[in-house]
Amino acid sequence: MWQDLHAQLEPAGLTVVTVALDLEPDRARPWIEAAAPTHPSLIDREHRVDELFGICNVPMAVWIDESGTLVRPAESARLEPNEYAAVEISDEMPEQMRRVIEGLQQSPDFGPAYRAAIVDWVERGADSPFAMSPDEVIEASQPRPPEHSRAAACFELGIALHEAGDTDGAVRRWKQAHELYPDNWTYKRQAWTLASTPEGADSDMAQEVHDVYGTSWSEEFLAAGGGATYGIVPRL
Amino acid sequence: MLLTRLDPTTDEFDAATGWTCKPEGMCKGQMCVPVPGALDDGRLDVEAVAARLGMALEAEPSAGLWAIGPESGGRALTTAAAPELELPDVDGNPFRLSALHGRKVLLVAWASW
Repeated sequence: MWQDLHAQLEPAGLTVVTVALDLEPDRARPWIEAAAPTHPSLIDREHRVDELFGICNVPMAVWIDESGTLVRPAESARLEPNEYAAVEISDEMPEQMRRVIEGLQQSPDFGPAYRAAIVDWVERGADSPFAMSPDEVIEASQPRPPEHSRAAACFELGIALHEAGDTDGAVRRWKQAHELYPDNWTYKRQAWTLASTPEGADSDMAQEVHDVYGTSWSEEFLAAGGGATYGIVPRL
Repeated sequence: MLLTRLDPTTDEFDAATGWTCKPEGMCKGQMCVPVPGALDDGRLDVEAVAARLGMALEAEPSAGLWAIGPESGGRALTTAAAPELELPDVDGNPFRLSALHGRKVLLVAWASW
């Protein structure tokens, strides 16, 4: 999907850069190899883009112009219509799965409009209504209270402890990060995945509630309000 | 930013946080914050700087480390200028975001999870 966008718009001056927020790069490798990208495809093991851009879930994107200036802050990024819209919910489905799919069906369907906005910006640059001024970009970025800064420091220490083989210490620090910044899904999903995403699973969406963290993606997705509130919808 | 001591050089701090030490104080984008007495012989009193910039400073004595979080108290972005960012590809080859000056860039975060 992102490779297709890059191939389509690269001649017109756009470069797509994908950044995998994967502490274990080998988990990202099969996806990268399948996409066979001709654009930069990078690995951000430490989730530095969270601190640098305000990324707090995936997929999210920022737009940067030719002078290295952001023209859109971190927002949820989709190109396609909601893939769950057409899913038939059957009575045989387990209740949790049914609730998750219903929740995902409530996600705002902004993909095609977002794609069109990118195309417009690539064609018209600063004249595009979708390109913000520097002040607008800053103002449109999410608030950053002190708790978010502390969460970032705790997440980073968790990685250092994990690398040093102190798994309990890593979990302690990651749990702190989750409490301090509950809307940061990259800190949560990365930590949970290490504890409980089954080998070979496509994503963390089917995690069971696990002993280590006492929660799972679907539990927290539903508790947070499902698709209507999950993500930072671009105001186009 | 991870630290093994509380007095990093100004270059180390700038590379990790984007905050540059100037005569006016610590600066990023259009913003400068005075931090009197923070600079001594090319090294920063990181406790003083972190306190003024709203950066969390967490000690992890078990690992001999501290971690500093980003500036806070406002919005996630202090400036619209893209930060310098160098990350490896999946084979470990480094790539700098600034290499793309002159191009429009769509930077997309994703994950295997």
